[in-house]
Amino acid sequence: MRDGTLGDAGDAKSPLLTVSRLTKHFGPNIALDSVSFSVHRNEVIGFVGENGAGKSTLLNILSGMLTQDAGQMFLSGEKYQPNGYGAACKLGISRVFQEQALILNVPVYQNLVLGQESRFVKAGLFLDRKGMIAAAERMIEAAGIDVDVRRITGEYDFSRRQAIEIVRACLTPTYLLGIQHPLVLLDEPTSALGIEDEAAFFRLVDRLKRQGAVVFVSHRLSEVLAISDMIYVLKDGQLVAAVEPASANETILHSLMVGRERASDYYHESRQRRRLKQSSALLEVRGLNRPGKYHDVSITVHAGEIVGIGGLLASGKGALGKGIVGLEPPASGSVRLNGYITNKPEIRQLIRAGIGYIPAERLTQGLIPQFRLSWNVSMASGHDLFAGRSGRWFRRKEERLVSEYVSRLSIKSGAPQIFCHQLSGGNQQKVVLARWLCRKPKMLVLDNPTRGIDAGAKEEIYRLIRNLTLEDVGILLITDELLELIGLSNRIIIMQSGRVVTVLDAAPETKPSEHDLLALMLPATPQMLTPSKS
Amino acid sequence: MSSKSRIRIDRSLWLPLGVVIVLTIFFSLTSNAFASIRNLTIVSAQASTLLIVCIGATFVVLMGSIDLSVGAVVLLVGAVSVKIQNGTGIGGSIIVVAAILGGLLGLLNGIIYAYGAVPSFVVTLGSLSIFSGVALQILEGRSISFESESLDTIAIGQWIPPFQNIALCAIAIWGVGVLIAERTRFGRYMYLIGGGENVARNSGIPVKRYKVYAFTLSGLVAGLGGLLAVARLGAAGPTLGQDLLLNSLAAIVVGGTSLSGGVGGPHRTLLGVLIIAILDNGLNLLGVSAYPQLVIKGAVVIAAVLVSQNRRQSVLIK
Repeated sequence: MRDGTLGDAGDAKSPLLTVSRLTKHFGPNIALDSVSFSVHRNEVIGFVGENGAGKSTLLNILSGMLTQDAGQMFLSGEKYQPNGYGAACKLGISRVFQEQALILNVPVYQNLVLGQESRFVKAGLFLDRKGMIAAAERMIEAAGIDVDVRRITGEYDFSRRQAIEIVRACLTPTYLLGIQHPLVLLDEPTSALGIEDEAAFFRLVDRLKRQGAVVFVSHRLSEVLAISDMIYVLKDGQLVAAVEPASANETILHSLMVGRERASDYYHESRQRRRLKQSSALLEVRGLNRPGKYHDVSITVHAGEIVGIGGLLASGKGALGKGIVGLEPPASGSVRLNGYITNKPEIRQLIRAGIGYIPAERLTQGLIPQFRLSWNVSMASGHDLFAGRSGRWFRRKEERLVSEYVSRLSIKSGAPQIFCHQLSGGNQQKVVLARWLCRKPKMLVLDNPTRGIDAGAKEEIYRLIRNLTLEDVGILLITDELLELIGLSNRIIIMQSGRVVTVLDAAPETKPSEHDLLALMLPATPQMLTPSKS
Repeated sequence: MSSKSRIRIDRSLWLPLGVVIVLTIFFSLTSNAFASIRNLTIVSAQASTLLIVCIGATFVVLMGSIDLSVGAVVLLVGAVSVKIQNGTGIGGSIIVVAAILGGLLGLLNGIIYAYGAVPSFVVTLGSLSIFSGVALQILEGRSISFESESLDTIAIGQWIPPFQNIALCAIAIWGVGVLIAERTRFGRYMYLIGGGENVARNSGIPVKRYKVYAFTLSGLVAGLGGLLAVARLGAAGPTLGQDLLLNSLAAIVVGGTSLSGGVGGPHRTLLGVLIIAILDNGLNLLGVSAYPQLVIKGAVVIAAVLVSQNRRQSVLIK
């Protein structure tokens, strides 16, 4: 690991940015664990790692949007601790965001000077539009992309807008802020770019290199290998390797990114069902389509089977889950659950047919943290279990049934009257699970069910999921965690850009490796594009 | 239901209670007329219309929406009731008419809000104007008197002196409101939608439908309030219900039902109504003129909410 010495800003040999033992926790979750590295001027540093490895957290801290729990940062030798993104920009660090941070209904030039309008004010009051337009045009020209700064931003397609966002982050520091040596953080910038925009992007990175430095986070290993001067690999919040691109290839990076020790039977694989009742397809999804999210997806889940769905950013797996259960209905296709078949899946009907759905965002979509446990459990069953036709709510039955499930699921310190924000993440997730289990569902669709949960609680949830399969419940498991995907599933579906790419068998003897899965999830290297590295 | 700390009686409950007690003591000491039987009759009657109207609106606020049109519904239903009563003399069953009319007006609000996806603030701002316009047109801008013996009894008779019957009606409606909030599916869904609309939807709760129900209820109860107000006053005039917009929101919020939804309920609204009614009555008796009264009332409302807010849980402050 390169360890730069601190010198003053003018010294080309000293690091532009030094990060020392950066640590960040989210509750029991360790997002970053004592990460240290440095970035020198005229360098492109690549960061790779799977989902959840800590890349976003690192970028958030570097760009001032989060504060670290421990560790320090130094920019050009001075202590660097911005209190917000605006402060970070002023100090010379800017960022291209994964999800576009552009205002769509204003002209492009306004987006390019966003935040710096005060430089274009005449007589303290009037906006100097001509000045803004001129500055914006200079930036566009320098970047070499085909954009009319006077047009409304929303009129350009996603790829072109991404290019605009990249221009803003890369060129604003020098053109508007007068920063000598900008450091630009690129967060998955190319995942949505078309070919010509990609070429322009690499030219821009080249240009930036000559003035300042670039930190480049991406899943496209081929690109990272092609343009980085040094690649750092993050895994589970730790910096596990520093790799010289010349001596590496995608395979080597893969194995550094994954390859963990699996605890023996953490996923209760010994209890994975082998003989499933093949005739009883519990859930049949046929030709499900939602433009922009997923295309022509067909899936079958049998009683007692766990079908896992894996894929990277923009694979569409999350949207697919919402589509199947009827929360974001698909444009076309059909869903059959047991005897109930529909072309327009709708959550209420599917719940009655026996489905349950646990969304990925536990605190905003999964439960209501400021309400009590019993209310969170009973909320899906107000139409049958807990209230009669007259509308009278069965409070005693609620209390009784909720208590029963609290003990069945071992929800620690979980009395029906306790408020859910007082529970740990793992226990909160059990509450969400209880909401469906008390209905005795036939099918569960789970989206990242163990995200943000400590290892012990995860194992309990895996045990519960296995128990369910032994009772003939079918499970559709959508998850970003490769080991979980491999360990739990009977079959694994891999999605890329909204389509099913492959279906793998995952019987206990023939479990694929994380390596295999990652290779299937990553987009193939485009042959025509060979970015130059100067 | 009420608030989130471990102690059962928490700050947001004893604060409004405390304010009621403090105000009562204050006005008893500073005004001779306040602590009298006669005044008790007056205060309770004045508070009653407000309480009735607020019960329905409380459910809407609980759900995370807002109903600005309650005052206008009171005015319109009051005006229509007078016209019908004077025209047909149907007596007691005018109550049913008032309820149905109010319910229909609320239904209109609810449908546009839930299915038209127009923010409730905007819908009820528009309907407030429309309902008021129609009502004033019906009244032709003047007061029309109202004759009905049966309704006189219901409104100003005194089965339990010194309280006028309208106060008993108000308490009865309040009681029903509390029961609905605590013991029924409708009430539970109001809390759930207000506390987390996304989560409610993800759990299969028919959110749109319940939004319509809530507004229909609000309109229905406001309609009843309008009729009883007219019965008590003996007339419907252009100023009927004009202070209800401010007073109802103030009472609901001061009582402890949060505008962001999911917290509070009709049981709290009683406290808010008492505060507003006692404040109005006491300041009147002290001879404070109308404009300073507005200032004081506004200050009390802001202060009460500022102090009782549970900041850790604030979700979205608009």
